[in-house]
Amino acid sequence: MLHRRSVTFGLAFGLTGALSLPVRDAAGEEPPVRIGFALAKTGLFAAATPAQLNAYHFWRDQVNEKGGLNVGGVRRKIEFVEYDDQSNTGNAVKIYEKLITDDKVDLLLSPWGTPSHFAIVPVLERFGFPVIGSTASSVHIRELKVKNLWFVSPSVHDKLAAQLVQMAKEQNVRNAAVIGSVLPQGKEIKRFLVPALEAAGIKLVVNEEYPPDIKDMTALLSRVKAANPEAVFVLSYPSDSILYTRQAKEMGITAPFQWLAIGPTIPAYRKIFGSSANGIISMGHWSPAQSRWARAKPFYDAYVARFKEEPDYLDTVLAYMSCEVLEEAVASAGLDKAKLREFISTSTFDTINGPVKFSGVENTTTPVGFLQIQDEKFQIVWPAAIATATVKPKSPW
Amino acid sequence: MSGFFEILTSGQLLLAALITGTIYATVGLGLNLVYGTMRLLNVAHGEFLMLGAYVAFWGFTLWDVSPFVSAIVAGILTALLAVALYFGLLKWCLRNPRMRKRIEPNSLLIFVGISVILQNLAALAFTGTPRGYQYLSGVVSFGNISISANRLGAFAFCVAICAATLIFLRLSIVGLAVKALIQRKEAAAIVGVNVTRLEFFSLCAGFATAGVTGALVSMTEQTTPFMGFPFTIAAFIVIIMGGLGNITGGIFAGLLLGFIETYGVALTSASWSSILLYGVFLLALILRPEGILTTRQAVR
Amino acid sequence: MTNAVPFLLGLIGFGLLPMTGQDYLIGIGFTLLTWIALTQSWTIFSGFAGYISLGHVVFFGLGGYFVAFTWETLPYWLSLPLASLIAFTFAVAVSIPVLRVRGPYFVILTFGLAEFVKYVVMAVEASLGQFRRLLLGVPSLTTLYWLTLFLAALATLITFTIRSSRLGQGLIAIREDEEAAEAIGVPVMRYKTLAYGLSAAIPGAIGGLMALRTSYFEPQQVFDPMVSFTILTMAIIGGSDDARGPVLGAAFMTLLSELLWARAPQFYLILLGVLLVTFVVVLPHGICGLFRRRSVHA
Repeated sequence: MLHRRSVTFGLAFGLTGALSLPVRDAAGEEPPVRIGFALAKTGLFAAATPAQLNAYHFWRDQVNEKGGLNVGGVRRKIEFVEYDDQSNTGNAVKIYEKLITDDKVDLLLSPWGTPSHFAIVPVLERFGFPVIGSTASSVHIRELKVKNLWFVSPSVHDKLAAQLVQMAKEQNVRNAAVIGSVLPQGKEIKRFLVPALEAAGIKLVVNEEYPPDIKDMTALLSRVKAANPEAVFVLSYPSDSILYTRQAKEMGITAPFQWLAIGPTIPAYRKIFGSSANGIISMGHWSPAQSRWARAKPFYDAYVARFKEEPDYLDTVLAYMSCEVLEEAVASAGLDKAKLREFISTSTFDTINGPVKFSGVENTTTPVGFLQIQDEKFQIVWPAAIATATVKPKSPW
Repeated sequence: MSGFFEILTSGQLLLAALITGTIYATVGLGLNLVYGTMRLLNVAHGEFLMLGAYVAFWGFTLWDVSPFVSAIVAGILTALLAVALYFGLLKWCLRNPRMRKRIEPNSLLIFVGISVILQNLAALAFTGTPRGYQYLSGVVSFGNISISANRLGAFAFCVAICAATLIFLRLSIVGLAVKALIQRKEAAAIVGVNVTRLEFFSLCAGFATAGVTGALVSMTEQTTPFMGFPFTIAAFIVIIMGGLGNITGGIFAGLLLGFIETYGVALTSASWSSILLYGVFLLALILRPEGILTTRQAVR
Repeated sequence: MTNAVPFLLGLIGFGLLPMTGQDYLIGIGFTLLTWIALTQSWTIFSGFAGYISLGHVVFFGLGGYFVAFTWETLPYWLSLPLASLIAFTFAVAVSIPVLRVRGPYFVILTFGLAEFVKYVVMAVEASLGQFRRLLLGVPSLTTLYWLTLFLAALATLITFTIRSSRLGQGLIAIREDEEAAEAIGVPVMRYKTLAYGLSAAIPGAIGGLMALRTSYFEPQQVFDPMVSFTILTMAIIGGSDDARGPVLGAAFMTLLSELLWARAPQFYLILLGVLLVTFVVVLPHGICGLFRRRSVHA
C-alpha cells in the first residue's frame, strides 16, 4: 500500500519538477520582442479561437521570416507569450495583468470575443498599455472613453443594422422575418435592426427570439415559412447558424435574401453544407478577390498553403488586421507607449482589408460589409465601393 | 397566415421532436446501462460521443467512409476503450470493498477526471478547430414533411438501437439476465447469473452507444473536442427523469425531453426555456420517491 | 495546540506577502486564498456530512451578482457582508427541498441548481438590458488581498472549530449512517441546514471579491461549473475531513497550475484529470489522509 502511494507521489512531484525546468533556445543578434496574449485553448470557446490563433501564429512566422519585427528601425524576432484563459473572461483579465506586470512583455495582442475585450479595459487603462482590438464589436465601445484600445471591426451594430437595411432595400425587399438569439450580440443587433426596418418601410412579418442552446428551430421556421417573407435575418452564433441552415433547407425556406450574423465565415460551415449554402449572406468585409487591396490575395494564398484550409473570413481577417496595424505602428513609434498611442490614433494603416483609420476607438475607414457565398466561395456584395460581386438571390437549396 | 395552432399540430414539428427525442433516448440509454448494472455515474459519456464523432469525421474526410459504417467502427472503438478502462481501472475499484460502498460518488469523480483527460487529449490531437463534412444532405419529403436524409438516417439508426435494446432485454437470455442484474444484483447472482461478465458486457454496450450516437450526430453538427458536455447533461436529465437504471423509462424520458425542447420553443419565451428545463429537472429530482434509492442500498 | 503553530505561521506568511510589492505574487496569493476559503467552506457541509456538492459555485455567483448589481449604490464594505448574508439565506431557504435528496441524486441536484440559478440571473439581466457589468474604480489589489486573507483565515477557523464541536461530530455521524445518527438523537435536519448555510456564507463574500478583482461581471463566468469542479478536486486531493485538507489541496493545485497552465494548458488539464482519478482511487482521504495514517489522531 505504501509502495503504491509513494510511487504516485513521486510521479506527481517528479513531473511537476521536470516541467518547471526552463526550456529556452538561444536568442538571435537582437533580443526578441515579446508579445503576449490570452486565447481559449480549452473549454467552450476553444472551437472559436483557432481562427484567431492561426492568424497570430501566421503573422508571427511571416514577420520572422522577413527578419523580424521592425521596431523603430531595428529588426527583432517576435516571440509570443501566450496563455490559455480556459474560456473564462475573468482569467483573461488576470492573464493580461500578469503579462504586463510579471512577464513584462513589450507588446500585447487582443483576446477573443467582445466580452474579453471589454473585460481587459480596466487593466489596459491602469497600466497605459495600448492594444489593437480584433474580434469585438458593440455599440458600447463608444461609451468606453478609453485611451488604450481600438477596434478594427467596423461592424458596430447600429451601423450594421443601417447598412443591412439599405442593402435589403436595394434588393427590393418589402417584408422580412427577424429571428435572433437572446445572447448579447443577437439582442444588440435586433435593437437597431427592427426600428431600421420599420423606418425603411419594410414590413416585419416575424419578430422572434430563441434561447441560447436551441436544439430545434422547426416551430420558429414553420412560422417564418408561413409568413413567406422576402428576407430572413438570423441574428445567430455559429451553432445556431448551422442549425438554421439545415432546417431552413429541410423546410424549404425560399426567401431570396437570407442573412446569418455569425457562422458562415467559419470554414466548417461550407464543408457541412457545400453548394446548398450558396446565396447565404453574412457579416464580413474581406475577400481575396478584391484586387484593390494588394495584400489580400498573397495573404490568402500563403494562409491556405500553410493551413490547408481557408481562413475564417471574419475572425482570422480581423485578427490579422490588428497585427498589421500594430506592425506599422511599432515600425514608426518603437515600443514607447505614448508614441504608439499617438501614432495609432492618427495614422492610416494599410492592411489586407485596405486602409484602416481610427476615429476615437472606432475604425471608420473600413466599411460595414456583407459577404455572400457564391459557388461555394465568398464574395463581397456590399458596399458597392468594395464589392467583388453583386448580390444574388438565394439559389434553391 | 398559418395559425399558431396549425404549426403546433404540424407533422413537421412532430417529426422534429421525435428525432431529437430519439437521439436523447439513445444517449441516455448508454448511460442507463452503465449505471443500472454497475452504479457508475459516467459523466464522461459526452466525451465518448465526441470520440465517435471524430471517428466519423476522419473516416469520411480521409477515406470516404460513410458515417453509418463509421458509427459501427466508432461503437467498436469506444467499446474497446471501455475494455481498457475496465481492466485498467474499474475492475480494481469494484473489487475493493471500501470503493464499492461509495461507488456512486467515487465513480462520479473518477469519470470527471476521465472526461477532462479525454477532452484535452482530443484538443491536443485534433486542435479546437470545428470540423464538419457534408454527407447525405439532400432533403427528403413526405407530403408536407421534409427532412434531410442524414438526419433521417440518424433517426432510423437510433430507433433501431433503442428497439433492439428493448427486444434484447425482454427476449434474449442474456438480456433478461442484464435486466435481472439491474433490478436485483444479489438475487441475480444467486440464480446463477455471471455478474462480472454481464457487468463488463453492459459497460461495453453502454459506451458503444455513445460512440455510435456521436458518429451519427457528426453529420449535422460541428465536431469539436468540447462538444460532449451538453450531451452528458441531456443524458443525465434523461436517466434521472426516467429513473436511474430504468431502461424503458429512460427511452420515454428521452422522447419527452425532445418534445419539451421542440415544443417548448414554440410555447415559451426564449429566455425562459432553459429555466423551464432546469426547473422541471430539479423538481423531478426533488420529488423522486427516495424509496427506490434506499431500498437498493439496503440490499447491498 | 499543534494545529495553532502551522496556522499562525501560514497567517504570518500570507500577511508578509503584500510587502513584497510584487503585484503578480500578490495576485497568486489572492487566488490561493480564494480557493482555500471556498474549499474550507465546502468542507463544512460536503466534507463533514458527506453530501458531495457539485454546485457550490451558486453561492459564489450569487454573492458576485449582488456586489456587481449594487456597485453604484453600495460601498463594498457593506455589499460584501450583505453578499454573505444573501448566500446564507439562499442556502437555508433551498435546504428544505434540496436536503431531502441523497447520494448521487444530491450531487446532480446541486449541479442542476447552480445551472438553474445561472439561467435565472441571465434572464433577469437580459430583462434589465444588461449582459455584462464593468465595475470601474474597484479597491486596490492589496486591499482585496487583505480582505481575502481575512476570509480564508475565518473559513479555516470555522471549519476547525466545527470539526471538534457537537455540530461537527453530528455531521460526521450523518455521513457514516444518517438513519443511525437520527436514531441516537442527532438533530439531523437542523444540523444539515445549519452546515449548508454556513458553507454558503463565505463563498458569497468571495464571489463579491472576485467580481471586484476582475472588475467585471458576467453571469456565465461567475456561475461557471468549473469553479465547483475545482473546489471538489481540491477537496479530494487535499482531503476533506478537517481544516488542513483544503489548504493542502488548494496549495497543491495552485502550484501545479502556476507551473503548467502557462506552458501547456491541455497537458495541465490532462494531468489534473489523472490526479483526480488517482486520488479518488488510491488516496480517498487526500494528502491529509496520508499524514493522518502516520500520526495518532482521532
